[in-house]
Amino acid sequence: MKGAESRSRLAALYDRLGIYLVAIALVVVGALVSDEFLTPRNLLNVLNAVALLGMVASGMAFVTYSGNMADLSLPAVMAFSGIVCVACLPLGLVPAVLLGLASGVAIGAMNGVVVGRFNANPILWTLAVAFFMEGFMRFTWSNRQLYPDTEEGTAGAAFIGIYRLDLGPVPLLVAVMLLMFLAGHLVMTRTRFGVETKLVGSARAAARTSGIRVSRVILLDFMVAALAASIGGIFLTSMNKLGVFYLGKGYDFRSVTAVVLGGVMLSGGRGRMAGVLGGVLVIGLLSNIMTFLGINTFRQNIVTGAIFIAVVGFQQLRLRRLGRDDA
Amino acid sequence: MTRGVSADSPALRMEGVSKRFPGTLAVDEVDFEARAGEVHALMGENGAGKSTLMKILAGSYDDYRGRIAINGREVGLHSPAAARAHGIGMIYQELSLARPISIAENLLVGHLPRRWGFALDRSALRREARRCLERVGLRLDPSVSVEAISQHEAQLVEIAKALGAGPHILVMDEPTSALSREEVQRLFEIVRQLRREGLTIVYISHHLSEVFEIADRVTVLRDGRKIATREIDGITPQELVQMMVGQAIDEFYAGREARPGALILQADRLSRRGFFHDVSLRVREGEILGIAGLSGAGRTELARSLCGLDPLDEGRIELSGESLRPGSYPDAMRRGLCYLTEDRKSEGLFLRLSVRQNLVSALSGESLRAGLHSRRTEGATAARMIEELAITATSPESDVGQLSGGNQQKVLLGKWLAARPRVLVLDEPSRGVDVKAKQRIHEAVIALAERGNGVILISSDLPELAGLADRVMVMRRGHRIGELGKDRLTEESILLAVNGEGIAPGER
Repeated sequence: MKGAESRSRLAALYDRLGIYLVAIALVVVGALVSDEFLTPRNLLNVLNAVALLGMVASGMAFVTYSGNMADLSLPAVMAFSGIVCVACLPLGLVPAVLLGLASGVAIGAMNGVVVGRFNANPILWTLAVAFFMEGFMRFTWSNRQLYPDTEEGTAGAAFIGIYRLDLGPVPLLVAVMLLMFLAGHLVMTRTRFGVETKLVGSARAAARTSGIRVSRVILLDFMVAALAASIGGIFLTSMNKLGVFYLGKGYDFRSVTAVVLGGVMLSGGRGRMAGVLGGVLVIGLLSNIMTFLGINTFRQNIVTGAIFIAVVGFQQLRLRRLGRDDA
Repeated sequence: MTRGVSADSPALRMEGVSKRFPGTLAVDEVDFEARAGEVHALMGENGAGKSTLMKILAGSYDDYRGRIAINGREVGLHSPAAARAHGIGMIYQELSLARPISIAENLLVGHLPRRWGFALDRSALRREARRCLERVGLRLDPSVSVEAISQHEAQLVEIAKALGAGPHILVMDEPTSALSREEVQRLFEIVRQLRREGLTIVYISHHLSEVFEIADRVTVLRDGRKIATREIDGITPQELVQMMVGQAIDEFYAGREARPGALILQADRLSRRGFFHDVSLRVREGEILGIAGLSGAGRTELARSLCGLDPLDEGRIELSGESLRPGSYPDAMRRGLCYLTEDRKSEGLFLRLSVRQNLVSALSGESLRAGLHSRRTEGATAARMIEELAITATSPESDVGQLSGGNQQKVLLGKWLAARPRVLVLDEPSRGVDVKAKQRIHEAVIALAERGNGVILISSDLPELAGLADRVMVMRRGHRIGELGKDRLTEESILLAVNGEGIAPGER
């Protein structure tokens, strides 16, 4: 039965590198599709385009890793942190950003308590929170869009500049995204919190009998996800030059797709940050190539959805093959 | 005689059957044959390949190799549906019933009687369900839900359900593990009845006495290979054990001289309403305190509340002289009171994680240096445990879910030994494991006590309890009814005591 062995070795290789092989293949395809594809400017464009998605996915990964599948309230968290930040700009840029982040993390804390301590279904609960937050934001700001003051020298102008800032050749938001992945990687593999998240995600009941404070770990996971989404939300608001309730729309599903594409199992406890970054890059490359081919956004959504279905199906199949279908 | 010779083709013939998992050949070229109207026992240590062989028969794997013939006709069993269609019924250790729905619906799920093609025919449902229950001698109202009946009745319902599909080969995997003695006898009556009806019954068990009572023939597997098939009348228990372990077994429990030291754990008047009442216990350094009782006596519940996994209504617990806050397991654990669960699959182990990760899973706090996780310490701890407990795994990085039951149980014990407990509560530490693994586990438990730690041992395995414990506390219906000292510890005395007999009033 050599076949089985080489197949499992192949699967192990896919776990580690697979998504980057896909990314390389896409680069080759891209180069064939267009001469402009391989220019540094276009590749930087790809990074720029996925930076926000990457930020959200780097946090979402913690929720998925902890066995709670997905936080669907992250788009609302993004919009909320952005609105709060714009509303607080009169206090100065730094306080406004900090308050924006804090308000996003507060939603994460609430999710974490309800899911971790009261065992709510994470998907349904966060879906409800997203719905509630949309209504809350529309009600509080009377359905208005919030525009920062853009006059030269004001905090508002500085705020709008956040998205457009460059650190040498690299845009700030790309640098921030990469830093978040690095930090996420270190937290996941090197800290007690990361190890405990893995244990909770692998088997919640067993984690409890191992003396892990399961509800506290899950609380932190949702807070990490909300913090990452809030950072993304502030960049997104800065990009749009306005704060409004619908800004984060679509980031929920696309970030879960990136996370799963990157090899994090929906059942929890398995995956790597590097893989998630790969998943984000693949989504960026794919969408870039489709744009070169003149495929519109709606059809791109169809492709993204189809990829998600295929990857989840493949993961399930592999678990079954290995006799690991312990669901 | 090693092979049944009959003119007719046997009900089941498996030839050269193999199944490989990544890294292990779980079943290796096994020939197996069972006749109609016989109870054929399948025995072997954990990891010998019994369960895998039967899962092949149940259609759980689509990539087994070898040939399977049923009533002389070769078949491919590549899906559970195919196995059912060929008349194979399975009864697993874990029940497959849906607890909130009625017995009748559980029994007839998949072929519910219908009227006009779509509406549920309730009267036919009840009638059919009654008929199924009668076959296993149950007189229950089929409309009550499964959660309202006892474990033993649920087991019989499970059998009724398997019979409902009209199988001619029935596989029973450790069907008696949760049953009392009388219940086992009732089960055997049903098995004999089914044998008279001409069914082929493959009976997997670890209990020698059961096999000698019920089986006609026995096939022994070891390390994935078939050792032999023998008539039960032509073999002694000693020979059978010899075939299973492949080596002579010595006196199992060496005499242990306990030298109890200072008091470590003191629990006074513990109560949890509905589970246990007014139970006190003490554990000293170097001492193994056994807790005996029938199922439902409140042993596990007591242990879980003692450690803080479940709530406690009343009582005081002191660990090394300091009182312990009830209901906080992480606290208790960090102070050295650890609990090894009886349910290793759903509560004890991380089945999808590696052996190494499982072995260090109870010390996430300890292997941190300056807040960062040290892989090197982890690796060393895991390697030490693998060696100490002789855990057989392809590598420390193999998934625990891929190991045999015995090795899984060793990993579970290793996880707690690695946490260096002051008092370790063991709840059925060797349930369902093979002889060699059991011996290793016992050696490790004794060594833990000899190092000056306390052990609480909850076990339904009487030889284990009598052999390991220094004294045994007896529980019955939630109360502590007495204690047996080392000098009086025998399997018989424990058995009598848990049934409420044989304890003098003075000892209460």
